Amino acid sequence: MVPVQWYLLLAAAVFCIGLFGILTRKNALLFLMSVELMLNAANINLVAFSAYWGNVTGQTFSLFTMALAAAEVAVGIGIILVLYRNFEDVDVTAATEMRW
Amino acid sequence: MAGAFDFAPVIVLLPFLSFVVSLAAGKYLPKGGAFGGIAATAGSLAVSAWVFLTVSQGNVYNETLYTWVAGGETSLSFGLLLDPLAAMMLLIVCLVSMLVHVFSLGYMNDEGETGLPRYYAGLGLFTASMLGFVVADNLLMAFMFFELVGLCSYLLIGFWFRQDGPPSAAKKAFLVTRFGDYFFLVGVVAVFATFGTAKFAGEGAFPVLAEEALHGSAEAVRTFGFAPETWFTIVGLLILGGVVGKSAQFPLHTWLPDAMEGPTPVSALIHAATMVAAGVYLVARMYGFYALSPTALGIIALVGGFTALFAATMGVVKKEIKQVLAYSTISQYGYMMLGLGAGGYVAASFHLLTHAFFKALLFLGAGSVIIAMHHDENMWNMGGLKDRMPVTYYTFLSGSLALAGIVPFAGFWSKDEVLYEALVHGLGGSPLLLAGYAMGLVAVFFTGFYTFRMVFLTFHGEPRSETARDPHDVRWNVKGPLVVLGILAATIGFVNMVPVQDLTGIHLEYLHDWLAHGEISALTAEHYSELLHDYAHYTSADVASYVAGAVSLALALAGAGAAHVLYNVPDPDEHTEKLGAVKTLWYNNYYQDEYQVWIAQSLVLPIARVADTFDQGVVDGVVNGVSSVSLFAGSRIRRIQTGVVTNYAVLLSLGLTALLVVFGLVGGWFA
Repeated sequence: MVPVQWYLLLAAAVFCIGLFGILTRKNALLFLMSVELMLNAANINLVAFSAYWGNVTGQTFSLFTMALAAAEVAVGIGIILVLYRNFEDVDVTAATEMRW
Repeated sequence: MAGAFDFAPVIVLLPFLSFVVSLAAGKYLPKGGAFGGIAATAGSLAVSAWVFLTVSQGNVYNETLYTWVAGGETSLSFGLLLDPLAAMMLLIVCLVSMLVHVFSLGYMNDEGETGLPRYYAGLGLFTASMLGFVVADNLLMAFMFFELVGLCSYLLIGFWFRQDGPPSAAKKAFLVTRFGDYFFLVGVVAVFATFGTAKFAGEGAFPVLAEEALHGSAEAVRTFGFAPETWFTIVGLLILGGVVGKSAQFPLHTWLPDAMEGPTPVSALIHAATMVAAGVYLVARMYGFYALSPTALGIIALVGGFTALFAATMGVVKKEIKQVLAYSTISQYGYMMLGLGAGGYVAASFHLLTHAFFKALLFLGAGSVIIAMHHDENMWNMGGLKDRMPVTYYTFLSGSLALAGIVPFAGFWSKDEVLYEALVHGLGGSPLLLAGYAMGLVAVFFTGFYTFRMVFLTFHGEPRSETARDPHDVRWNVKGPLVVLGILAATIGFVNMVPVQDLTGIHLEYLHDWLAHGEISALTAEHYSELLHDYAHYTSADVASYVAGAVSLALALAGAGAAHVLYNVPDPDEHTEKLGAVKTLWYNNYYQDEYQVWIAQSLVLPIARVADTFDQGVVDGVVNGVSSVSLFAGSRIRRIQTGVVTNYAVLLSLGLTALLVVFGLVGGWFA
């Protein structure tokens, strides 16, 4: 059995990739994907600890997270569509109307 | 038992109801709501008469009806105090107000005035507030109604607001009386701070507490480091400020002659019989307090005596009939103040009573003349009206005889008693009172002169204008009130004929008896004379009252005789021209208005400018300085709101990282 540390390392790597995407990309769709990566990193952790402790609560919880992620994507796509309609682009740095 | 006292609030509420009805529905009522006003004041008069009868059986009502602020130490309330003085005043106010309402039918409705609902609403509110003032059982309530009375006078003087004069006169009346009321307000606060209560009578009332403090037995009185006598004098003088303003005493009398711009019935109601009486009534109401301070009494007497003479001289040269009456009003209130200051509580109340009737009569008579003259008030355009309007003439004559103080008309008995009190207490060792007496005595001569100058110019001789030759008719609604008041002016003095009593031994001083009785002994004239003796150290010299009466009667007759010689001729000259510079001085009211304007412009305005600069610069500067820090900081810090999502994400991540590092350091993960 693979030790739990490896799962944690994998999850940390996936999370960092997602974070890196959010901090560096301008494309809203890539934002959405990066967020998915971060959510799934969390899911990996949940499932890994669930297996480690022999307790299914963590796995159940990851199912909730997936449902949440699906909902989030629906909202996110909607936002991106509106963004595109208003700015003719999906560049998040272009939409800076809500500042001082 | 439901007695008169249970219905006493109705006295105040009925005219108030008339105010509301006239204001809301006057347009739809016949005569602009006049009948409602007449009915309301008649109802008040009936209830007042009932109260009067109940009080005459020795009952006094002193109850708090409604407490609107209940504090630990001090509570503020509305209540009723119905003692002989209040009962007498209620009758005066209700009767004069009702007659003025009736007269207004002739003066306003028949003359085709517009805005009548506003007029009758004003009269109703005025009557209600004056009645509220009369029945007030504490100083704060009295102050509130005092202010309402001032407001009503503003509204009614400025009734013809489309012309130039009335609005300006209304503002002047309001501001000048407000100036006095400012001191009154400070005085009310001082009374609360000193005694913790402002009740006029009963257990723990402030005059009673003041009396105990002078005994040295009351602990609850705070005098702020002054000796009690000094402090009570200061408080009394502060309240006197309001009295001087409302009762048109020197130097705040200047509003009253200008207030003649209002409709004449209003002048009769407000500036003769009731509102101006409020000041004097207030002093009488809290006489138990003033009687403790000889200094305050001396000042009251001196101001009163001076005002009596001062105003009488100005009345001598005036051309308009209402101006003469205005100055005579100021002068007569001077007599009342002199009487109060001289320890003549009964005398002053008596003069208040008689003056209310004969001055209302004179103003209404003048109103009748003004109707007849098509609103020309200049006496030099009148003359010969005696034969053309006999009812007005004889009633006016009755009022004039009363005003001049000719025996046996009302004014003689009361004015004589005021002067008598000043004389005996002055000779008893108060030179201030003697000075007041001397001025009052000289003023008697002037009063006789200007009164009969007015009568002769208006009614005698040959008509001096077309209008005077063929005057406008007046109807029953003008003549009725005149007749009622004319009879009262001739007879009301008989309630208190002290000189006759002294001469014949027949008991005739009913007003003395009236004011001397009552359940609450602290409110009786007897108690006041004890206070005057014990605290103000007034002693009476032995002077026969009929001698003093004869002196003032002789002076009044001399004045009237002089007027007869000079003006009771077919075509009188303006003899006052011969006075030269003195006439100019009198005609310009001693330049009182000018010097008050000068004070306002040359002294008060610069001070106000400095205060404004201080306010704008220092006070506002501090506030603005504080806010500018926030503004500056805000304008810098808001820059972090870039609107770029990535930046927010960076901040979030950095914040989370920083939190983790802090937790790690605190939790010792790196140790």
